[in-house]
Amino acid sequence: MRRIAIATALALLAACTPSAPDRSPAEAAAYALTLAPKDARLADLYAQSCKTCHTVLDTGAPLSGDRTAWDARWKKGMPALVVSTVGGLGGMPAGGQCFSCTPQDYEALIRFMADRDR
Amino acid sequence: MTTRRNVIVGAAGASVAAAGGAVGYRLWRDREPATPAALDGEGHLLWRNWSGIQNAYPQQRAAPDSEEALADVLKSAATPVRPVGSGHSFTPLVPTSGTLLTLDRMSGLVSHDATNHRATVRAGTRLGDLGPALAGVGQEMANLPDINKQSLGGALGTGTHGTGRALKAIHGDVLSFRLATPKGDVISCDRTNNADIFNAARVNLGAFGVVSEVTLQNQPLTRVLKRTTVRQLDAAIEEWPALIANHRNVEFYAIPFTGLAAVITVDETDKPISPRGPDTDADAVMGLKKLRDLTGFLPGVRRSLAQSAFKDAPAEEAVDEGWKLLSNERPVRFNEMEYHLPLEAQMVALREVIAAIEKHRPDVFFPIEVRVIDQDDAWLSPFFGRVSGSIAVHAYYKDDYQFLFDLIEPILRRHDGRPHWGKLHSLKAADFVSLYPRFKDATAVRAMLDPQGRMLNDHLRAVFIDG
Repeated sequence: MRRIAIATALALLAACTPSAPDRSPAEAAAYALTLAPKDARLADLYAQSCKTCHTVLDTGAPLSGDRTAWDARWKKGMPALVVSTVGGLGGMPAGGQCFSCTPQDYEALIRFMADRDR
Repeated sequence: MTTRRNVIVGAAGASVAAAGGAVGYRLWRDREPATPAALDGEGHLLWRNWSGIQNAYPQQRAAPDSEEALADVLKSAATPVRPVGSGHSFTPLVPTSGTLLTLDRMSGLVSHDATNHRATVRAGTRLGDLGPALAGVGQEMANLPDINKQSLGGALGTGTHGTGRALKAIHGDVLSFRLATPKGDVISCDRTNNADIFNAARVNLGAFGVVSEVTLQNQPLTRVLKRTTVRQLDAAIEEWPALIANHRNVEFYAIPFTGLAAVITVDETDKPISPRGPDTDADAVMGLKKLRDLTGFLPGVRRSLAQSAFKDAPAEEAVDEGWKLLSNERPVRFNEMEYHLPLEAQMVALREVIAAIEKHRPDVFFPIEVRVIDQDDAWLSPFFGRVSGSIAVHAYYKDDYQFLFDLIEPILRRHDGRPHWGKLHSLKAADFVSLYPRFKDATAVRAMLDPQGRMLNDHLRAVFIDG
């Protein structure tokens, strides 16, 4: 019974999760520029590293706050995303060029950019 | 919209559909390079450079937020202490098992002099952030490199440059800097105070200490017209002297196996703003890769397809403030060797480089970057005492780059080239002594500032001492 209740709650929660509004690529980039992590230290790390690519369309990086663009990546699971971040993948340079980030910082920054931190 | 890439890919695909075996081989070769473990056996996190060929597991990571804290790290942290800017160097300047030091918490504009167009900037500032910060006070750097992700300190430390006959590399516009040293001091340096350190450490490889802040001679914000045209390569080579004489900034990309070049000029203008459109460079480069994949074994087909695809390509123009147009996003990673040659040798060497690639390396598809830089007087500047023409050869990050050492470097060395400090080269101290008139003076200053060699990793020991 408890399992059913949890599943029902999760389903309701999923239904309530706001879907990404339909934005043009330019609008999505403009929206990304308005975002910053709430935590001041994370915000500094983000501004010096992730933001330089994840708010710029021409980089090809999934934009911060573009939940849809992150969907496929999110399905890989957080451990895989952190490994890809630390080692680099495709156009993504290793560590996202954040040289004082810890693995925990990467997790928090990925959650933020993927719009999964609410 | 039909892109150049689509034209190339479509034409190539139709022409060589029978080449399935080669395509399969390419797909096999096109896999992601192996990645080292994220953590080493002692739990230290992996560091890699931008392209992924340099790796390290530093036991400490330091991000000081003040000059005092920076000097303390240099004096006391585990060695080697190696500063990292944005990790864009291809040479092993950064790898360390000791302390990885970032100035990310020491960034931003400190002050500016509106009358003389000068600004003092913390060295951890990324060039991409510096452009808008300076624009906010009506200034701009006279020149910028192709990529603007670098930190100011890293760009200065490696002799990073833009292009233009009358324009110096970034360090050529440094009026003064403050240097934290491995002894724990912080020194102010300019042409009259600590002049030897100023001359020796303007280009410093992060081996003299760490520059904490810099005063730059900038210029008033300008509006420029950037124009990109596809030309026949032979024409671009023939016209190079006129191009560098007639344009503020000019460069061209020689595209091997195609007989083509992309010529880019930037000049001041009073035309109305017409912002750059979406980036097409990455698309074009990946189109060239696809052309290589499909026709690499048929050079005649490769050339005629490229000529056909680009023959009617219209010129691309954009008008905007210079800092918005001089640098580019480079989402396609690569490895690179760049040498700076006496200007009079540049085109001869370029023809030899292209001929060598087209004879021996059909796998190469990245355009070769050709630039010009004015001389300066920093002792370790590749542009010390001579106007220089640069040649930069690239290899896709998934591809073999050993040919840069075996095939390209001998040509560039034969023409008296000096390597970019952050780009691949095999030179050692003995080579630099003959290439740089003040090299021994610079190494003496370095040894005085860092007598215990706290900032030397294996690569830097070979550059400054053991070579």
